[in-house]
Amino acid sequence: MTINRRGFLATAVGAGVLIAATACGTGGGEGGGSSEALTVWFPGNSAPEIELVTKKLVPEFETANGAKVQVTFVDWAQMSPKLNAGFAGNSAPDVFGHGPAAAAGFAAAQRIEPLDARIAALSADDKADLAPYLSGGQVGGKQYLIPLVGNGVLVAYRKDLLEKAGVAEPGTWTEAADAAKRLTVRDGGTVKQAGLMLQSAKIQRVQSFQGLLGSEGGTLLSADGKTATWNSAEGVKALEYFAGLYSGDGRVSDQLGLDFANQPAAQNPLATGKAAMVTATTGQVLQMVKAVPGLADKIGVLSPLKAADAKTFGGATTGLFVNADSAKKDLAWKFVEFMVSKGVNERYAETVGGLGVRASAAQGSYVTGQPLLKPFIDAAPAYVGSPNVPAWVQVRDVLDKHLEQALAGKVSAKKALDDAAAEAGPLLAAQ
Amino acid sequence: MAVLTKAPRSKDGSAAPPRARALGKGPTGRRRLVGLAFTAPVLAYLAIFQLFPVLYGFYLSFTSYSPLDRGAPRPVGVANYTALLHSADFLKSLRVTAQFVGEVLPFAVGIALGLALLANRRIPGIGLFRAGLFLPRIVPLTAVSLVWLWMYSPDGWFNDLAGSLGVDPRDWLLDEGTALHSVAVMRVWKALGGNMVLFLAGLQAIPATLYEAAKMDGAGRWAQFRHVTLPGLRPVMVYVITINIVYLSQSFAEIFILTGGGPLASTTTTNYLIYQEAFQNNRFGSASAMAFVLFAAIFAFAFVTMRGNGRK
Repeated sequence: MTINRRGFLATAVGAGVLIAATACGTGGGEGGGSSEALTVWFPGNSAPEIELVTKKLVPEFETANGAKVQVTFVDWAQMSPKLNAGFAGNSAPDVFGHGPAAAAGFAAAQRIEPLDARIAALSADDKADLAPYLSGGQVGGKQYLIPLVGNGVLVAYRKDLLEKAGVAEPGTWTEAADAAKRLTVRDGGTVKQAGLMLQSAKIQRVQSFQGLLGSEGGTLLSADGKTATWNSAEGVKALEYFAGLYSGDGRVSDQLGLDFANQPAAQNPLATGKAAMVTATTGQVLQMVKAVPGLADKIGVLSPLKAADAKTFGGATTGLFVNADSAKKDLAWKFVEFMVSKGVNERYAETVGGLGVRASAAQGSYVTGQPLLKPFIDAAPAYVGSPNVPAWVQVRDVLDKHLEQALAGKVSAKKALDDAAAEAGPLLAAQ
Repeated sequence: MAVLTKAPRSKDGSAAPPRARALGKGPTGRRRLVGLAFTAPVLAYLAIFQLFPVLYGFYLSFTSYSPLDRGAPRPVGVANYTALLHSADFLKSLRVTAQFVGEVLPFAVGIALGLALLANRRIPGIGLFRAGLFLPRIVPLTAVSLVWLWMYSPDGWFNDLAGSLGVDPRDWLLDEGTALHSVAVMRVWKALGGNMVLFLAGLQAIPATLYEAAKMDGAGRWAQFRHVTLPGLRPVMVYVITINIVYLSQSFAEIFILTGGGPLASTTTTNYLIYQEAFQNNRFGSASAMAFVLFAAIFAFAFVTMRGNGRK
């Protein structure tokens, strides 16, 4: 066999190109899709949601619009890494779902399309119907995210356990703490039945703190989003309350940091009877009564508890963004519009166990047929969401780290909040 | 490419070795050309998918770069590296990583050696015993971690066991004092099967004649183990320790699933911190710098292990 130099080079280059082409085909196919199809990434891995979207909603949209849609569901934890890689490699989808916390960062990097003109073109009725949740998708006054489903965090309680202990439904955080002490059952040094458990796992503790802080009348950030204000007197009071539930002789719960929100619903401490009161989202409450037969009559949900004010963490949880570099922006908007249209949005909210984002959802069969949803709908005006500032995700992680220190009793509430403010200061100032 | 017009000759006047020939000239040169053509795909693969990412990562470690930015990475010199020297989170993650390796390695190696000695016996049912011990090795780490997550949960197997023994239940993964140890126990269990098989192969490679000679010299079981088995296993031992150091130093999946780095960052290994820095905070430059410091540390430990054992 004889190969000349030119042949050798051609072979080598050809082999290299072949390998590169093969590898690119494998790696890029996951989220890219064909050039004709509208590519959409949804966050999550819920089987009922995947079934509804891929088997019913998308085919309906395709038929109605004569379009092709390629949907990919991406696990929540992997959504940001995959999107980052997609943006860096120019293969991000035309439409993608994410939480409002990501909006400001994407907007600052000019990766998402402002949708104000699209909203303005909606009918007056539509705009009014969508209005309650739209503000959760705004950054700097511009609409970037269209909320798809909402959620709130309220205190859910076991009616049977409160009745057994002769405890009335609390209306304030102080009353809740008093009730929790009477509901707590100890065995030696161990809490056998927690009186009150706030969600205290990673990131969840920031959301719990946000609710308490709002109830005390405080805010996380200044109005311009450039300064941390969580270390105010209201913040210290809120965190001391939170930490007090888990520390000292008067503690009403242990298992600080337990992520019961993401455990199977039947293992939620409220469902097992290991807690008399817990904070829970709409979806968690609905999943619990579905998972444990007979629990529906035993569970109640409290209105937002009051301190100086009555606030709780809530608002839009997932929304849809349109990629600023999409070549199919009109079709992308049509898909977004379809997903928040009246009937479709109600079906979607029912499937994921969330709240529909339209005001009219309160009169829909999904809400009227499920009494446990009413407190969450009624609480909508009391919801406080995450600040829409570009550095929020990093700032949240900083706050989370210091809240954990205070909750574990390593430092005082004041020091934890001051340290968090000092560490987050440069991140906020650099926005 | 240099082309020699005159073949050089050695001192004794014979023809120069083939390496001096031009590529493609003469039968030897053509054979080399064919060889290169056949290896080119692999070389291209290694260059594109192995070498380039490493070099690009090293370049990124001297830049500030977010994948969301439309611009190119901005050079920042050694700022990412100097920042690490003052980063309490990074320094703590190195300590956690070292502690984790230190807790897992002795047990993962020692127990695996003991199991290999047991599995090396010719007794009925030994195949089943070996297969059972090897099983954890072939189950994906993610799946194993999910099972152990349940076992460590408040209502899980360990607390059931504790309850049956009259001991108060514990929050194994939520307590700063027990979280890393709990992950380490799982990791030891996971590592045993693979290490045992390597030791078993090493044991079976030791000539039986050495044991017979030792017996004739009056050596008991302990003396045989000390003077025949251990020296015979040294190459395998070095390999097992080195590979375990490399793998354990890069622990991620079990941390991600079992503890998420908590509580109070007590299980935040450097690899987990790199993930957070890169994919939560979008700071690829800083994350790359962390990765290369971790690489240097792993390389140093592995090098010391290999040199230290190789000299004996």
